[in-house]
Amino acid sequence: MIKFNNVTKIYENITALRNVSFSIEKGEFVYITGPSGAGKTTLLKLIYLAEKPDSGDISIAGWDFNALKEKAVPYLRRNIGVVFQDFKLLNNKTVYENIAIALRIRGFKDKEIKERVYDALKLVNLRHKSDNYPPTLSGGEQQRATIARAIVGEPTILIADEPTGNLDADNTAGIMKIFKEIHAKGTTVLFATHNRNLFRHTGMRVLRLDSGNLVADEIG
Amino acid sequence: MNYSFKIAIKSLWHERWINLLSILSIAVGLFILGFVILVLYNVETLTRGAPEKFTVTLFLKKDVTDSKAKGLLRKIKKNEIVKSVKYISKTEAFEELKQSLKDAAYILEGIDENPLFPSIEIKLKEKSFDKDTIEKFIASLKKDKRVDEVIYGQQLLGTIHEIYKSVKILTIIVGLLFCTAIAFVCYSTVKILFYRKKEEIEVYKLLGATKGFIRSPFIFEGILVGMLGGILASAGNLVLFNLLKGMSNPSVPLLKGVILPEELILSLPLAGLLLGLVGSTIALGKIKY
Ligand SMILES: Nc1ncnc2c1ncn2[C@@H]1O[C@H](COP(=O)(O)OP(=O)(O)O)[C@@H](O)[C@H]1O
Ligand SMILES: [Mg+2]
Repeated sequence: MIKFNNVTKIYENITALRNVSFSIEKGEFVYITGPSGAGKTTLLKLIYLAEKPDSGDISIAGWDFNALKEKAVPYLRRNIGVVFQDFKLLNNKTVYENIAIALRIRGFKDKEIKERVYDALKLVNLRHKSDNYPPTLSGGEQQRATIARAIVGEPTILIADEPTGNLDADNTAGIMKIFKEIHAKGTTVLFATHNRNLFRHTGMRVLRLDSGNLVADEIG
Repeated sequence: MNYSFKIAIKSLWHERWINLLSILSIAVGLFILGFVILVLYNVETLTRGAPEKFTVTLFLKKDVTDSKAKGLLRKIKKNEIVKSVKYISKTEAFEELKQSLKDAAYILEGIDENPLFPSIEIKLKEKSFDKDTIEKFIASLKKDKRVDEVIYGQQLLGTIHEIYKSVKILTIIVGLLFCTAIAFVCYSTVKILFYRKKEEIEVYKLLGATKGFIRSPFIFEGILVGMLGGILASAGNLVLFNLLKGMSNPSVPLLKGVILPEELILSLPLAGLLLGLVGSTIALGKIKY
């Protein structure tokens, strides 16, 4: 499903990723871990095409990024739901509208948008906050709204960048439950976190980065 | 209703001050442009009447018989730029002279032989009005052996031609200048609106929006702003036109004949729409992922 082959990414003078290779199958749940600055976010950005590699090959669902036409970028992105580290919620739109946008860009009709947005909100337990604006929500609620937006289009791949970053234990447990539910439906999940407790003794696959190097591909 | 169009309408209201400012600027521009065209159109209509009145008179040699003259008449009639020809025989000319003298007919007493020349009066078509064509036509007439003299308003011909040319060039220059300015207003408006939504657009892109989805609300808004400006300009010209008409009195008879072409009223909103489209398309430029 996702293939990295000798991928290097350099920002000006910082090598954020160095010769990284791995392969993830459809339906897997993979943790990306490593200390801050290890290159987790960069790796995810390469997948959703927010950054381009300086060398190496990336392919997703058979699409070779080196041969990808610019026109295909939006259609590829629609297969990838992203929970951004900084949420990227629009503060001048309600929670409902923030989630609906993901469907509007796909050309869905209003009636179907309504059904799907409410389903997604129910899944993240935020149905009662649909008319609120993001700044009036707690951190955990904003996180859940972002997850709802990422999954409402039923992507084949779900990417999450530190989705439990600054949440308390209760909220973290809630978020993890949501991700497990989405994974159970067959979605491939990439979950970046520096929190070992989330994957220790889970038997899940963990990719460990350090200073841009992939130092371990192990079972947590 | 189309989602992009809905967004454009919403934005039109949400950013009403900047949009209103643009609509008014465009309205003023198109109003002035419309007025200039209105004036030029009327000047052109007035001058277009002149060549039609303009006639070429051929005086034939005295010994040219009626039948020979008729031959020449047929030849002239075949020319594309000729509207009508009229042959005036020596006898007819003499009768006409007598008529016009009337009371003073005694002047002609004692004149036995008709002293007048037969002549041909040629009226030219207004559409074919072109200095070179007419001069060529006149030169060909002069060469004919039957023709004694050609009388035509050479001076008038040249002057009208010059007015025509300058009016046309002026219309084009003024038009282009105003159109550029109006397109620029649309360009800046859309550019500002686009920058105000930069963050939003970045999110749309990451969620998988196509370029078309990102562009179309702005294009719609540019088009709407341009068109609304054009509608205001048309309304302004209609009001001004009626004021001018109302002002016309016997001392300024010229205003009475002023014509407001329907096409102008329709084309101002259309021009606004097109310039809005051009301006906003340029403003959005290339969208990169
Ligand atoms: N846009 C950028 N420009 C320059 N350097 C960057 C940029 N993004 C990330 N970096 C650097 O690349 C390295 C990896 O960053 P990142 O992928 O965000 O790591 P992580 O998500 O694991 O904390 C860091 O040293 C960071 O400072
Ligand atoms: Mg990060």
